[in-house]
Amino acid sequence: MRLRINGDDVELKQIDPETPLLWVLRDHLGLLGTKYGCGIGQCGACTVLVDGEPTPSCLLPVSGLGGASVETIEGLADGETLHPVQQAWIDEQVPQCGYCQSGQIMVTVALLRRNPRPGQAEIDTAMSRVLCRCGSYPRIRKAIDKLAGG
Amino acid sequence: MNQGTSFRPDRRRFLKASAAVAGGSLLIGVNWNLQADSDEGVAGVFRPNAWVAVHPDGRVEITVAESEMGQGPYTLMPMLVAEELEVPWSSIKVSRAGIDPVYGFQLTGGSTSIKKGWVLLREAGAIGRQLLLEAAARQWGIPVQRCRARDGRVFDDQGRSIDYSRLLGIAATLDLPEKAWLKPPESFRVIGQPLPRTDVPDKVSGRAVYGIDVRLPGQLFATVIHPPVFGGRLESFDDRKARESASVVDVFEIDQGLAIVARDSWSALQAARRIGVTWRDGDRAGFSSADWAETLRDYASREPDKVISSGSPEPSGTLIEAEYLQPFQAHLTMEPMNCTVHFDDGKLRIWAPTQSPSLAYGSAKRLTQNKLERGWHKLMNRVFGGYDDSIEVNTTLLGGGFGRRLEQDFVEEAIQIAARFDVPVQLLWSREEDVQHDYYHPMTYHRLAARLDANGLPDLWLHDVAGGGVSPSGARHGYRIANQRIRSFNFPQRVPKGPWRSVSPHFNVFAVEHFIDELAHKAGRDPLGYRLGLMPEGRLKHCLETLASRVASDGLSAGEKVGYAAASTFDSHVAEAVVLREDRGRFRVVRVYCVIDCGIVINPDIVRQQMESSIVFGLTAAMLTEITIEQGRVQQSNFDDVPALRFEQTPEIVVEIINSQEKPGGLGEPGVPPLAPALANAWLAATGKPVRRLPLRLS
Repeated sequence: MRLRINGDDVELKQIDPETPLLWVLRDHLGLLGTKYGCGIGQCGACTVLVDGEPTPSCLLPVSGLGGASVETIEGLADGETLHPVQQAWIDEQVPQCGYCQSGQIMVTVALLRRNPRPGQAEIDTAMSRVLCRCGSYPRIRKAIDKLAGG
Repeated sequence: MNQGTSFRPDRRRFLKASAAVAGGSLLIGVNWNLQADSDEGVAGVFRPNAWVAVHPDGRVEITVAESEMGQGPYTLMPMLVAEELEVPWSSIKVSRAGIDPVYGFQLTGGSTSIKKGWVLLREAGAIGRQLLLEAAARQWGIPVQRCRARDGRVFDDQGRSIDYSRLLGIAATLDLPEKAWLKPPESFRVIGQPLPRTDVPDKVSGRAVYGIDVRLPGQLFATVIHPPVFGGRLESFDDRKARESASVVDVFEIDQGLAIVARDSWSALQAARRIGVTWRDGDRAGFSSADWAETLRDYASREPDKVISSGSPEPSGTLIEAEYLQPFQAHLTMEPMNCTVHFDDGKLRIWAPTQSPSLAYGSAKRLTQNKLERGWHKLMNRVFGGYDDSIEVNTTLLGGGFGRRLEQDFVEEAIQIAARFDVPVQLLWSREEDVQHDYYHPMTYHRLAARLDANGLPDLWLHDVAGGGVSPSGARHGYRIANQRIRSFNFPQRVPKGPWRSVSPHFNVFAVEHFIDELAHKAGRDPLGYRLGLMPEGRLKHCLETLASRVASDGLSAGEKVGYAAASTFDSHVAEAVVLREDRGRFRVVRVYCVIDCGIVINPDIVRQQMESSIVFGLTAAMLTEITIEQGRVQQSNFDDVPALRFEQTPEIVVEIINSQEKPGGLGEPGVPPLAPALANAWLAATGKPVRRLPLRLS
């Protein structure tokens, strides 16, 4: 089985094809930035981009991903240069415990790729996919507003 | 909470350091004594005490003994040290303390970190600065009074300067100063600044290591299933189906339930669903939270366990009465419970996202002291009864805490599981286990009564609170009421109970603050003026007045109603206002205002962040979630039925910080208690109806 992850072709061996992408990333490929939160696609902590679409990876059997391109938090920065969304997260001091932030950042990246100037309703819909128990939401909103030139 | 572990200073270190600690308090004395060990560290590193290490390359390593769960100690504690050490913020590198008696009892909870560190950590920095100044003075052959420190350098009065990194050798040979000289607040350059958090870069790159991210060579992965009924036991299990997976290593019983060990997390979690288990339910199989609410009501007429009274609080005259019921709540940390343990050749190594490595250590010691042969250490323990360095606790970042990680149940389970292997084992709970096997915010029943005088003001106040493991903390308010009685009716616990962000003040402040508005309503008075009239002059009243003028200057739109509440908890003072907007019969929280006086502010951005956090946390519990129990089983299991607040539901949040020179108070919790009553008071203002039970579901 082959996957394209953060631009690299990855060969998966001896993996139960039912294994969700989340656990392939974490336990087989050592990409630990994507987190387990609920296992039922509700909390969004495990969100990655599959062919550009933000997708909870905890319910996605890896067998269904033949040929798909997967992006994770580890693939965003260009060397030491952070992705603009990551930089905005630092500028606005978004994270507290930080556990959900990979998911928050991946959803934001997809949102702004689709529409660099999203309206509040579009931001609300997109960002309500990922739960944050620390309450970083007001700062996420500020960071997105700044990225969108608001 | 069991705090039975006692730490005593390691005798060898204590003897070496005793000269240096003469005149110091025990805590300080114990704490300064790592200096003697500087020769055991990396060559050339100057380590004046357990918190500070100045490296020859200019890095300043600051050790933090508090757990980082989002509330900011990895930034705030180093700020206290950096202020006095006079080093640039960019040179700071943070390390997490291991278990060592030098750090005292490590427990991050009760909004205490800053209060504990305020003097201690500034002294740690000052001692380092004084030694470096003395080293420079010797190097230059001038009196130390002619030297001053700034930005990691020492300057003299002739314009000469030298970098700290060139003074480390001399500094390490000097005797510790007898007294730490602290800077006066007017010369603070670090304290009070909105410095960026040290933990944020790794949290946006995905590199931050939480408990769940610990990876060690040969590591196995485990999960547990617990008896669905509290107090139940495992009767039998059938693991044939589970063992069909080649990735499953073992299935066995532990004290708390059934453990499944596999080669990866997914295989363990999957296998857990394929095991047929028969449980013995025990005597709580009939427990129902709905019945419990009635039981609490009855119980609140029996013998109170605590009574606090003033004046003559005998019920007489016409009483205004109210009952409030608050539900069980789960903590719902985003990172489910987990812990990694390795029994490694006579050493017990633990990696845990825990709020108390010292409690984790205590659990480890208790569970293993008779099972592990640790030769020399065993003898040492018998002789000195002290600290056992064959147990190592590595505290990772915590994906949320909120009090849940003060309980060490997950550590104890991981130890039991890993004891069967000689490779590391990581235990990870499923979210369902996390929701159903928490140590919950208790259900509480409150009965309030008051008598109003001719002016419509209360002259008698009665508050009874009943629940499992409740205390009257937070029920003692400052309102000027001549006759008061507060009674708590503390039940034997039937449901596991634990500290939940803001603990007893969460439920008691709700009852007090909502009842004040009910009285104002009955007296036909404006609740804000009524509350201010009852409040004595002081810091809390100043917060409420500041809040009221901010709300007034922003104004309310058509269809908007505001509710206020205020409370002094954890040595800070917080007033909050919730603005509800009605739109075609539907209500929505559109704005929340918060004014806090937490004394001297270490980092205003983190104060704001903690208030935003407390408000979002408070709103989830006040409007959306509850844990219910039927036939002894928790009815909820995941974020679909405990629906935490989402982005689109989050109101605008406005935070103001009072400028204060008082001693620093707590930050992690004081923003929570006023939120629910402010919401209920807005509801009362909008609808004329009080809130008798939480959560208040608006739609």
